[in-house]
Amino acid sequence: MLTLGTIAFTTPLILLGLVALPIIYWLLRVTPPAPRHIRFPALRILAELTAREETPARTPWWLLALRLFLAGLILLALAGPVLNPAAGLPGGGPIVIAIDNGWAAAGDWPRRQALLDDLMDRAGREQRRVVLVPTAPPPGGEAPGPLQIGRAADARAVADALEAHPWPVDRAAAAERIVALAGRIDGPAQGIWLADGLADGGDRAFTEAMLRLGGLETVLPEPGRLPIVLTPPEIAGDRLIVAAHRATATGDRTMDLRVLSDDGRVLDRREAWFADGDRSVSVTLDLQTAQRNAAGRVIIADQSTAAAVALLDERWRRRPVGIARSGSGHPAQPLLSDVHYLEQALAPYAEIRADDLSALLPSGVAVLLMPDTGTLSAEDRDQLERWTAEGGILVRFAGPLLAANPDTLVPTPIRFGDRALTGALSWTEPMGLAPFTESSPFFGLSIPAEVQVSRQVLADPTIDLPEKTWAALADGTPLITADRRGEGWLVLVHTSARPEWSNLSLTGLFVQMLRRMVALSEGVPGAAEDVALQPIRTLDARGIPGPAPATALPISGGAIGETPVGPTHPPGYYGIDDQGQALNLGPTIPAPDPLADLPAGVSTRGYAGDAEVDLMPPLLAVALGLLLVDLLITLVLRGLLPALRPQRAVATIAAGLVLAAAPGLWPDRALAQDTSADDFALRASTDVWLAYVQTGDSTVDETSRAGLETLAQVLSRRTAVEAAGAIGVDPARDELAFFPLLYWPMTADHPPLSQTARSRINDYLRSGGTILFDTRDHAMSSPLGGGPGGQRLQVLLEGLEIPPLLPVPPDHVLTKAFYLMQDFPGRYAGGPLWVEAEETLIHDGVSSIIIGANDYAAGWAASPDGQPLYPVVPGGERQREMARRFGVNLVMYTLTGNYKADQVHVPAILERLGQ
Amino acid sequence: MAIVPSSRLQADAHAAAAGLPPLLVAAERVAATVAQGVHGRRRVGLGDTFWQFRPYQPGDPIQRIDWRQSAKSRDVFIREQEWEAAQTVWLWRDTGPWMGFQSRLATETKRHRADLLLLALAILLTAAGERAALLDGEALPATGRASAERLALELDRGGEQPDAAPPIGSRVPRHGELVLFSDFLAPLTETAQVVEHYAGRGVHGHLVQVLDPAEETLPYDGRVRFAGFRGEREVLIPRVTAVREAYRERFAAQADGLAALARTAGWSYAAHRSDAPPQAALLTLWGAMSATAQAG
Repeated sequence: MLTLGTIAFTTPLILLGLVALPIIYWLLRVTPPAPRHIRFPALRILAELTAREETPARTPWWLLALRLFLAGLILLALAGPVLNPAAGLPGGGPIVIAIDNGWAAAGDWPRRQALLDDLMDRAGREQRRVVLVPTAPPPGGEAPGPLQIGRAADARAVADALEAHPWPVDRAAAAERIVALAGRIDGPAQGIWLADGLADGGDRAFTEAMLRLGGLETVLPEPGRLPIVLTPPEIAGDRLIVAAHRATATGDRTMDLRVLSDDGRVLDRREAWFADGDRSVSVTLDLQTAQRNAAGRVIIADQSTAAAVALLDERWRRRPVGIARSGSGHPAQPLLSDVHYLEQALAPYAEIRADDLSALLPSGVAVLLMPDTGTLSAEDRDQLERWTAEGGILVRFAGPLLAANPDTLVPTPIRFGDRALTGALSWTEPMGLAPFTESSPFFGLSIPAEVQVSRQVLADPTIDLPEKTWAALADGTPLITADRRGEGWLVLVHTSARPEWSNLSLTGLFVQMLRRMVALSEGVPGAAEDVALQPIRTLDARGIPGPAPATALPISGGAIGETPVGPTHPPGYYGIDDQGQALNLGPTIPAPDPLADLPAGVSTRGYAGDAEVDLMPPLLAVALGLLLVDLLITLVLRGLLPALRPQRAVATIAAGLVLAAAPGLWPDRALAQDTSADDFALRASTDVWLAYVQTGDSTVDETSRAGLETLAQVLSRRTAVEAAGAIGVDPARDELAFFPLLYWPMTADHPPLSQTARSRINDYLRSGGTILFDTRDHAMSSPLGGGPGGQRLQVLLEGLEIPPLLPVPPDHVLTKAFYLMQDFPGRYAGGPLWVEAEETLIHDGVSSIIIGANDYAAGWAASPDGQPLYPVVPGGERQREMARRFGVNLVMYTLTGNYKADQVHVPAILERLGQ
Repeated sequence: MAIVPSSRLQADAHAAAAGLPPLLVAAERVAATVAQGVHGRRRVGLGDTFWQFRPYQPGDPIQRIDWRQSAKSRDVFIREQEWEAAQTVWLWRDTGPWMGFQSRLATETKRHRADLLLLALAILLTAAGERAALLDGEALPATGRASAERLALELDRGGEQPDAAPPIGSRVPRHGELVLFSDFLAPLTETAQVVEHYAGRGVHGHLVQVLDPAEETLPYDGRVRFAGFRGEREVLIPRVTAVREAYRERFAAQADGLAALARTAGWSYAAHRSDAPPQAALLTLWGAMSATAQAG
């Protein structure tokens, strides 16, 4: 291995091949590519040239440089260059690699695995035997077999399959296995410990066992990358408080706390941070009821360990609130119904079900609001008592019915009848509320002054009445009493839920009081002791839920609170049906402590440091790319790529590279198109252009262009029209509105019009444009059905707004727009010319459609030096002149409209006619 | 004028039925676009046919005195021929192997194009009442449609001569009209020899240089070994791109030389590329010939 700075070569001998580069250079210079053979009549001229040509045949210098570079690159690649070569492994003898693969290593697992890979590489290169010691117990809880001493290649297979587990490491057990190994290794071994950085009870035993084998190098993560442990939230009223713990107290560290639903949606996010010096932080999550009920887990987003996930189950949910509907509801008069007021008060905060009592209880509600009811049946009472004993909260409201039929399902005995605080026979006024005492769950709520209670049921005074009183009137009479019944509560509001007895239910206080009472509910009772809870879904080491592995075992129902997370019980949900109870990793592990006080003789280093990079594959890839470029260049230089000129080829290659490298450049094309449309509009509208439609037949298009160019010259010479020239348009692409006249030659195979083109043409015709359709087939027309151009025109015109046509009448403006003429020859003479029938003319009398067959452009066309390009048929300069005159008339007609149709000019014209 | 066939199928059928070579059909189609009316002259001029006797005037060349007529009376008479537009036009096209060259830019060989132009011209000529014959052919000058067919057959029979050159012989009478179709890529001196020979005999001629577009533009790239058709040494060009400009200049010089040669001899010269429509060349040629006829 040859090391040069940060690069080393594994097989440096190959570099000697670089000596051959000059030879390659010489060969490349003297060996030009094989020539192509071409028989060529004008060889004599070429031969004369080569006599003068003095540059010898030689490869261009840049191609030579490219090829030398290519050869050098291949040699370099074959020499096996390695970037940041790792120093040799310390010590001698076998390598014992211990790796912490508990939950704490999961966040950094790829880095550990890369380091492991690197170690395997080096061990393989130095041909040292390897022992791999994972410190976390394997899944399933079975004791692992004795450690294997093997070749690096075998160990690599094990290392590749190694993964982090969502439970803590057991270093004490690992130490025992290492001690057992001692006898099987002769001579000193070198230990390397990829530690997760957290302390564990067995640290000392472990390091000592490793040191007994030989040297020990410990690889520790940076303090900032030590994992954070999240404990499941505590319920504080309608808030959840989660606590996070970290291993070190130094530095600020922010966390991104997220509440996720079961399917992974983010319900809430909260930024939280450890201040410098803090090991723990508590975060209060204030969730809407719906969010809280949907919450599946709380995670720290940038931590991917099982300990950074707190799974939530039913215990953290808000149970639905039921409202018992008595038979005497007033659906038509909701304002008289108790149910209505309760529903309105709680609807924003809880899931409410209003139903008959018998239907509500089995469906599982946490809180039951019971408006004024008459006598409860014994069955109902038993059911309600059982339900409250299991943790239900029953809130009853008084009213005339209860006052008349006091029963025993109340927190404190009540007297028969009610107390009216107002009325003709009463001295008292309606009364407000006394401030809440500290023992009341309503403590802290402000009492609006307008709250007044005018009627209530009275509690029999008992010893424990003050304790049971949650709210009282200003004179101390209990208004809300409550009694603990088993796990649940029985609450009685001594006044009515509708504003009949009190305006309490019209105030915000009522809503807040109801919310406080609902918040008392704390989920469902736990499962029975003797039920085995099957693992349903478990977390992997990175804290991602998935199906439970086969190695996860059930937990007995009563023990789930005390079960530690381990190889047989990965964190996750355990239960009987779909929704199980959560077993969280956080509470079962001690608060994280950093790995400290390593014994003397243990060297430490970090994970950081550039990994070894093998440069051979990228170098070979570059060489291959250059080879392809070279091949392309060779082909171009030899002229074997027919479509490419060298400059264009280079441009193409460059463009290809740019496009391959930056696909983001593509949107620019759209922009370019826009600007080209703008350019076209600018160009077309600054001058008068004679436009022709491009048919796609280059001969026809060239003829159209030449014809219109000539016509433009004729116009400039003879008339006031200063036409700039001819411009080819494509109705599917270009805006037509700029052109007064569109010359449209027909070919037999004219491509059909697209929808865009059709609508453009219709717009053009409607807005006053004129199209001269030239079927160009007068020589081929038969009297029966027109020529091929005409037939094609018929097909194309379908879907266009074509007005009725007639042959040019003798007094048409076309016959006198500039020249007086009655025939309209083009290249052919005699073909009829069709224009719109007069009565349909709307655009200043200019026919929007003119159809002829005389191949006008060919008749006009002349080469730039004035020589006509096509002979006219039957012939004669006169016909050509008349053809051009027709062109002049046509342009004048489209530009000036019915000006010449004006009667004013008739005498002058008559006079000229008379001459 | 033959019926202009309106479809390819019809053309083929027509050709098969009439035993007409396809070239003739194509030539007819080309000629049709250039056709003009027959030009009668009815005035004194160069020609083979007797027009009138007139009395000798001082200055008239003695050779032109018609002794027999003069002997019949006291006056000396000069024999005048009718100036006939219907002259005999001698046509020649290059049959060298180089004429078989066709680059990928062209749709047909130069030979084919030269044959086509020649035949089309012959059709035009015969339709206009002139007489046409191949310079190196066996048939005598003739007029009429049959002569065009005969000419076509003769053209078809004409093989490839490795050393084709315009024959220098006395087949062309003095003041005849000669049209040469070739690529004229041989050294200018060779062409000059021919032109001078005929020009010296008072023959009026037209040089039509039929070229392949590749010969003019040299559209090759890279390293090419060029081989010739005239037995020249092969030439290896390492980078054709490098010599392209020089070649074009040199080629233009050759064309200029030809034009100068023709001008000196009072002949016309036209270059025609085989990727251009034949009509263009024919139109130019026809124009030049009409101009000659009117001037002569």
